[in-house]
Amino acid sequence: MTTSFDWRLPRGTVIRGKWKRSSYRVERLLGEGANGKVYLVERQRAWYAMKIGADAVDLQSEINVLQAIANAKLVSRSEPYLVEVDDYSGTDGKEYPFYVMRYIRGATLSDFLSKRGMEWFPVAGYSLLVKLSELHAGRWTFGDLKAENVLVSDYGRVELVDYGGVTAFGKSVRQFTEIYDRGYWNAGSRSADAGYDLFSFGVLCIQVYDARRLAALAGSLLPQNRSPEELLKLAQSIPALRPLGDWLAKALRGTFSNVEEAAREWQQWQRRTSGRSSSVVPRWMKGLFVASAALLATTIYWLLRTGA
Amino acid sequence: MKQILLITDGCSNVGVSPVVAAAQAHAEGIAVNVVGVLDQGDLGEFGSAEIEEIARAGGGLSRLAHTRQLSQTVQMLTRKTVVQTIQHAVHRELKQVLGASSIEELPPEKRGEVVRVMDELSETSKLRVALLIDASASMKPKLAAVEEAIRDLALSLQARQGRSEIAVFHFPGSAHGDECLLDLDWTTDVRGVHQFLPRLQMRGTTPTGPAILRVVDHFRAPAPRSYRNPDETDGQMSDYVV
Ligand SMILES: Nc1ncnc2c1ncn2[C@@H]1O[C@H](COP(=O)(O)OP(=O)(O)OP(=O)(O)O)[C@@H](O)[C@H]1O
Repeated sequence: MTTSFDWRLPRGTVIRGKWKRSSYRVERLLGEGANGKVYLVERQRAWYAMKIGADAVDLQSEINVLQAIANAKLVSRSEPYLVEVDDYSGTDGKEYPFYVMRYIRGATLSDFLSKRGMEWFPVAGYSLLVKLSELHAGRWTFGDLKAENVLVSDYGRVELVDYGGVTAFGKSVRQFTEIYDRGYWNAGSRSADAGYDLFSFGVLCIQVYDARRLAALAGSLLPQNRSPEELLKLAQSIPALRPLGDWLAKALRGTFSNVEEAAREWQQWQRRTSGRSSSVVPRWMKGLFVASAALLATTIYWLLRTGA
Repeated sequence: MKQILLITDGCSNVGVSPVVAAAQAHAEGIAVNVVGVLDQGDLGEFGSAEIEEIARAGGGLSRLAHTRQLSQTVQMLTRKTVVQTIQHAVHRELKQVLGASSIEELPPEKRGEVVRVMDELSETSKLRVALLIDASASMKPKLAAVEEAIRDLALSLQARQGRSEIAVFHFPGSAHGDECLLDLDWTTDVRGVHQFLPRLQMRGTTPTGPAILRVVDHFRAPAPRSYRNPDETDGQMSDYVV
């Protein structure tokens, strides 16, 4: 689906809020989706992300969720995520609602992993589970969990973006993406609960290792034959995921009782995998060693030369 | 809240105009949504103009969708129309209570409150969706996709907190001159249902208008006790909004 307004704000445009009169300068478009466009903006030398929507009601429900999360003080963080809410009068004479949030410098999970290597996946995954547990503590399900909505900054630190799918436990999930959806895989309801996010997380694990075969599997199965077992079979055929098999089975079959339990078992898997390679010098350390040996050699060479 | 969701791939060719029938539905408080379903190619200019007009007369929305996106389109139209119905009711209240003529006019804090109530109503009010499926010859290869979309919709509706029911009709009906047949009466759960639609070869006519009227009739039929007063939340709107 595309947004129902197709203009794009050029760089340098100044956006002044109708109610609070703050000004923001547009730097560039960060992304767009079903509910609006997200721009990188600047105000008093600080960067923010600004989401401009076409539909006041849709955007407002997202804002309501962000405000509820902020009020519940679930997230132990000094900077707030939601910064300001206001309206902007477009050059077309219409008014567009917007909200300003913290700018998250990072790459989407898939981009991050393909650039930095899959060895970052366990850390990023753990960090994502922690993020989910903060939300779940307030009895919210993230809903539309997928690789594009997970931004990763340095050292595998994870932030979720796109709160359009966030749903209170017990209500119907407001927004989802088929391939990550528990209902689509005949694995349960579309009611918001902890298991809903964990199911999507399970699919996400397969997605980051083999997106192509996951898409092929979804496309080849008859609707009534889609099942968590099919996903597990696919996961078993990916060598790197095999040690995670038990964890994935619990996530996809919905047998974890909450995210904390899932996070604990994830840590156990991390410990097992990191332990396995500890007998040999890891690749990065070897690299470091070669580099420092070379440095040492050059240093000695220069010392000898200048000393002579 | 009451909705008819028409899934078709062509033009009506017998009986009362579907636009007139949709207007009648709208007058009785039923929103009519239309999905024009494509396999390859398109509906032709006349077909897409017709579905748009049916939806406009029926106070609903219309979309063209490929069989691959049918489930998503059906979900999206149903959800949007629920929100729209609530929005209309809220707009009336806004004028009376807050003196604003639209949600956009309200300052952000007030808007937040109103939208919170709207979200609550969208989730909790009772909803009935009658699916009206064009099962004429050209639709035959698309019926599997249609059934999947129905199942998928039922799954989403089941997750709502408010009671949600669907019914399924197809047209043209049997060779005995029925314009439309009921395949599945109001239900909350379709898991036990093997197949919604018959796979028989249908006659060549497409009596879309008469079929819509038949479904409107079905909405009028006295409901079993538990369904009385399906619009009760409309009446309570003013308690929520202020
Ligand atoms: N706070 C942020 N910091 C940096 N980038 C962001 C931020 N919020 C959103 N983005 C970028 O903008 C893109 C679109 O934002 P978002 O997903 O919120 O839009 P949407 O309309 O809800 O999209 P969708 O169709 O996925 O629901 C994101 O994928 C992300 O790349």
